[in-house]
Amino acid sequence: MTRAMAMIEITDLRKSFGANEVLKGVSFAVERGEVVVVLGPSGSGKSTLLRCINLLEDWQAGDIRIDSETVGYFDGGGRRRAWPEARAAKVREQVGIVFQSFNLFPHRTALENVMMGPLHVRRIAKPQARALAAGLLEKVGLGDKADQYPATLSGGQQQRVAIARALAMQPKVMLFDEVTSALDPELVGEVLIVMRRLAEEGMTMVIVTHEIPFARDVGDRIIFMDAGAIVEQGPPAQVLASPSSARLKLFLRRYQGDYLAV
Amino acid sequence: MVNVLVTNLPYLLRGALVTLWLAVIVVTVGTLLGTGLGVLATGRSRILRMAITVYIFVLRGIPVLVVMFLGYYAFPALGVRVNAYVAVGVAQIVYVGAFTAEIVRSAILSVHPGQVAAAKSLGMRRAAILREVLLPQATRIAIPPLVNNALTAVKQTSYASVVGAWELTYAAREIVERTLASFQIFLGVMAIYFIICYPLALLARWYEKRLAVSH
Repeated sequence: MTRAMAMIEITDLRKSFGANEVLKGVSFAVERGEVVVVLGPSGSGKSTLLRCINLLEDWQAGDIRIDSETVGYFDGGGRRRAWPEARAAKVREQVGIVFQSFNLFPHRTALENVMMGPLHVRRIAKPQARALAAGLLEKVGLGDKADQYPATLSGGQQQRVAIARALAMQPKVMLFDEVTSALDPELVGEVLIVMRRLAEEGMTMVIVTHEIPFARDVGDRIIFMDAGAIVEQGPPAQVLASPSSARLKLFLRRYQGDYLAV
Repeated sequence: MVNVLVTNLPYLLRGALVTLWLAVIVVTVGTLLGTGLGVLATGRSRILRMAITVYIFVLRGIPVLVVMFLGYYAFPALGVRVNAYVAVGVAQIVYVGAFTAEIVRSAILSVHPGQVAAAKSLGMRRAAILREVLLPQATRIAIPPLVNNALTAVKQTSYASVVGAWELTYAAREIVERTLASFQIFLGVMAIYFIICYPLALLARWYEKRLAVSH
């Protein structure tokens, strides 16, 4: 596959919150249909990276290209200028994101949550939007919960509604930001199953997670980040079985149950 | 003893009707104005935000009675002849607007930022986010203080009598001057104000419950 065909291409991305640099020159590409899993300790910049790809954060230097289009900033007479909101929204239409804290709209039913994008962004007619949303809820196994409000759903169910809501925009890419981290352990599986099915259908996905077995199983490639930089990357089997960096070795030991590893 | 009240009741009720009119206009226009300003106060224009902040802080810092006097004497000073009702109405609308703006502004800002992130991530534009996500959730938060605000505004219409606008309180003072039965008359006035305000409070409770269902 050539570089030009990459779905996401990130070059030397730098992002700071004040004096604190959280992304220190991150570069990688995601090919069409590829599932990239990003691992790393808290504070390593994984979530910020995803939020940058969806233009929910600004950044100070570097380029993000989505489907061959450089996004977020333009050159205005030699000065780097941020895109106006309306243009950013155009990109977000094509890039779905699912958040750790679900962020469902509490005043809307599950079905209405999923209809939000189709109705108010794609502007398709209500009956079609309803049918599309019902189909997607069916797909994530919640066909019978369509008329329930988020507060009456379990965490796992809410997160599946959130996935359906993002899918309703028919995005080119799906970003998952620690989507199972807020769930009870026994609800994690139902969400991962939905994600795995998406991957099998050929969706391009970038997944930030702490579920190592899932990463090994579903990921085409693993990227390990620490302190705002990519430390190591490669196929899951290789990266997880024989990590080359000391940092990843330690990280994996902790996840393999050695909670006292330092 | 109660007779004084009964004989003068029709006159009081005529005053109550004027009060009701004044209240409906002040509360409706003031709340609409304030809601608009409150929304703009969360917008992107820095100049607009600053202007609204100044408006809110100035109005919050002065008594409505002073605003009313200002309205009543300022218009003529500017060469505009206005009747007392217009002066009172405009002054109270501006006053209610300031308090409403602050309530709406803070209610919008108190909606969880994750809600905006989620809406943005779908590609929703600012107007749609406001209409579909922020305002419905802000309404829930804003209803109790807005009703408080409205009730205060209804009762503050009684200040109109001070600048000679005839309404319930003015009518009551006229009757008292004639009959000296201040206790009975003002007891009646109290009851009438309560009857005007109570349904508003009830309506708000009902609406609050209805909104709570969908959460």
